[in-house]
Amino acid sequence: MKVIERFWLSFCFFLLYAPILFLVVYSFNQGETMQTFDGFSWQHYQELWADTRLLQIVLNTILLALLSSLIATVIGTIGALAIFRTQRKLLKQSLLSLNNVLLVSPDVIIGAAFLILMTALGLKMGFLTVLMAHVAFSIPIVVLMVLPKLQEMNQDLALAASDLGAKPTEVLTKVTLPVISSGIFAGFFMALTYSLDDFAVTFFVTGNGFSTLAVEVYSRARQGVSLEINALSTLMLFLAFVLVLAYYAYSQKKQGQKTKLKEKVK
Amino acid sequence: MAAEKILEFKQVALSFGETEVLKNIDLSLDSGQFYTLLGPSGSGKSTILKLISGQLQPSSGQVIFDGQVINDLPAERRRVNTVFQNYSLFPNMNVYDNVAFGPRLKKMSEATIEEKVKEMLGLVKLSGYENREINELSGGQQQRVAIARALANDPELLLLDEPLSALDYKLRKVLQTELRTIQRRLGITFVFVTHDQEEALAMSDWIFVMNDGVIQQQGSPEDIYDEPVNHFVADFIGESNIVPGIMKEDYLVHFVGKDFDNRDAGMRPNEAVEVVLRPEDLDLTTPEAGKLVVTIKNQSFRGDYYEIMAQDDDLNLWQVQATNPAEIGSRVGLTFDPEDIHIMRYNESEEDFDARLEAYEDDETPTDPSDSADKVPEVFDHE
Amino acid sequence: MNKTKKRFTEAYLGIYGLWLLAFVVAPLLLLLIQSLNVPGQGFSLANYRDFFTSGPYLAMTVNSIWYAFLITVMTLAIAYPLALCLTKLKHRQFWLLLVILPTWINLLLKTYAFIGLLGKDGLLNRALEGIGFGSSQLLFTNGAFLLVAAYIELPFMVLPIYNALLDIDPLLPAASRDLGASSWETLKKVIWPLSMPGVKTGVQTVFIPSLSLFMITRLIGGNKVITLGTAIEEHFLVTQNWSFGSTIGVVLIIAMALTMALTNDKQKKKRGGRK
Repeated sequence: MKVIERFWLSFCFFLLYAPILFLVVYSFNQGETMQTFDGFSWQHYQELWADTRLLQIVLNTILLALLSSLIATVIGTIGALAIFRTQRKLLKQSLLSLNNVLLVSPDVIIGAAFLILMTALGLKMGFLTVLMAHVAFSIPIVVLMVLPKLQEMNQDLALAASDLGAKPTEVLTKVTLPVISSGIFAGFFMALTYSLDDFAVTFFVTGNGFSTLAVEVYSRARQGVSLEINALSTLMLFLAFVLVLAYYAYSQKKQGQKTKLKEKVK
Repeated sequence: MAAEKILEFKQVALSFGETEVLKNIDLSLDSGQFYTLLGPSGSGKSTILKLISGQLQPSSGQVIFDGQVINDLPAERRRVNTVFQNYSLFPNMNVYDNVAFGPRLKKMSEATIEEKVKEMLGLVKLSGYENREINELSGGQQQRVAIARALANDPELLLLDEPLSALDYKLRKVLQTELRTIQRRLGITFVFVTHDQEEALAMSDWIFVMNDGVIQQQGSPEDIYDEPVNHFVADFIGESNIVPGIMKEDYLVHFVGKDFDNRDAGMRPNEAVEVVLRPEDLDLTTPEAGKLVVTIKNQSFRGDYYEIMAQDDDLNLWQVQATNPAEIGSRVGLTFDPEDIHIMRYNESEEDFDARLEAYEDDETPTDPSDSADKVPEVFDHE
Repeated sequence: MNKTKKRFTEAYLGIYGLWLLAFVVAPLLLLLIQSLNVPGQGFSLANYRDFFTSGPYLAMTVNSIWYAFLITVMTLAIAYPLALCLTKLKHRQFWLLLVILPTWINLLLKTYAFIGLLGKDGLLNRALEGIGFGSSQLLFTNGAFLLVAAYIELPFMVLPIYNALLDIDPLLPAASRDLGASSWETLKKVIWPLSMPGVKTGVQTVFIPSLSLFMITRLIGGNKVITLGTAIEEHFLVTQNWSFGSTIGVVLIIAMALTMALTNDKQKKKRGGRK
């Protein structure tokens, strides 16, 4: 590897992780600001542990993400099947375009449009409205993850299944869904990421009774720095890191199996 | 053999919009036979398979299975199974689960299923492969699993859609023999689709030659090879030298400027015909002894024979298969026996062809497993 | 297709179509109606007239697009070489995951980190002081906004480019070298054109959200950088003038649709021309 490539990689990873590490380091600060490091302490973690409101919000955020992703995965998979099975070209193209509308719309517009919609429906802003909005912006990404898997799937598999006596429901549950499961899982995780990362849409459609982590951090940050947030970030980063390692180990193991198999066949 | 009719097509046609894929097909299959649908791609042979399996419904006509019209019966309720060209094994299941797929849908007990799977895997020589994943198998093994999976469903009719076309030459030969053995052992009717004439000739009891959505000719492999009904069949099955000629009278044909004795009859006097001579029936000799005199243009070594291209003085090209090499540019004679000459009339239907053959050939008309009285004449269209 | 399967397809279409109507068509339609429904005047084009005749709003539109463009160019300049380096690494899947990892930290937390970094007595300012530059206000500047936005969007640019680069048949660059092209020529004439689909996706996924990063503007940019996103947020949540907010929204949507249509057309023409 050339020196220049090494340098660029180091530089980029420094850029990516410097702000995050900065958060982590100051989470252990004895002082109250992100300016001077006054010595090591766990005190902000203790504050976090005692802050039931913030912990409740973290729990809300995770629950909201799981629930909205689950619903979005179900509807998104149905949507992908609908688009895939549609024969008429014009209808297929319009469905795909409509699907992509929310994907390419800026968050503020989605937020504003949903605020108008929910108000028109006479809903009180809160958990339900946020959930609906999250489901709505997650569905298109699920469709986009599942659709290619359907297109890649050997179409004769469904024919083979019904040839062997499977009824349409059995073809779906025993063959089609298992074969496209990787796309469905990918869609679910993308939806999860979208939901956890969202701020703007939630900010528009949330009410007094319900808040997500992003909204809470926004309102706290406007009032000034609180190292409790650093402590929380550190914990979340740690969790994400563990998940990445686990996922990597799992995928490496799977890949190892596959290459071994290929050698065997040869 | 007590021939029992299992499947029948009555005037079956299929078109997609303006394109006619099948034109009024009539055919009849007896149980326990190995049938082959042979033809180039786009000839409609796979379409017939899809009509039998239920993937397609005919635009008109009747598909009759065991005496019942099944035009609209969904695929999952037909007692017919298919071995797909690309294997189509379920990638989310291992070998055992693939073969057990059909029996499980029938809610058989797991013990029965296990016995069934073992039996089928034994039949295709894959015993012990139960727990293998599909992507661990070679192409040949995958095709064996596909055959076992289809057979595990106890079909009365097994459809094979070019199942060997993706395999290499040697493996294809092995599987051809094995498929034939399996078919004989189980006594199930096989309908095999291929574009490979060699494969069709080697495996089948009965061949349907298809082109342009029409059955051009049907018969035993020997019949079809020796007595092609028209130019297409003669050209598609095996190598042929086809030259125009005139049937002066019964048993006397005129081509390349000479008269030859032959064994065909029943045409009008001086009728224009096509003359077929197979390359393997032609022998090289001295120019003096030859019935035709030709110049060797080129030759290529084919392992068990030399393929020689020669040109006569009328500039007709003759393909000859010879055991010994010849010298390019030299003049040689070609000889052949009167029975090597096969005459084809223009636009003769298979029905008329058969009738004519029967009229002058009092002896051994080839036995037809299906009842020949059932056959409906087909109109041939050479345009 | 048999009847049962058809019925299933119709059911899928029904469910999905209903969702599209209720959650895609309806909200956008309502946004359009709201933009035309001027309080006290009924339906009129007054909002649009106001928007297109008002200097500040037009300037803001230009500003938004300019800043989004700058953010896109900055991320592309960093991301492309990074993606190229990543594809050459041994454990590239792992390194790629490390690039994606920051996206799992909520963007508000990352923005929050920059408040500390860029603050008056923050690390960056003190480092600058150390080298001899005087202390300066970094927070609440346009530069700060660009920096943070580019930082947040960076992984979204790397990912599609990385995938496009991996999709390139490794024999093609080898063939190019074999035919006598230098590494630089190979990069310019083979790798870059072949990775264009990834670059295009990256540009779209960065450019569009960059138009609406109102929270960064609020927290980092102060209120100095007013983008269309900020304006919409202000009209909806602060001044409660939904009607005018919707108008800006509609303008933004149309501008975006135009940009996308234009880039797509150019691509097609290019492809056609090359044939």
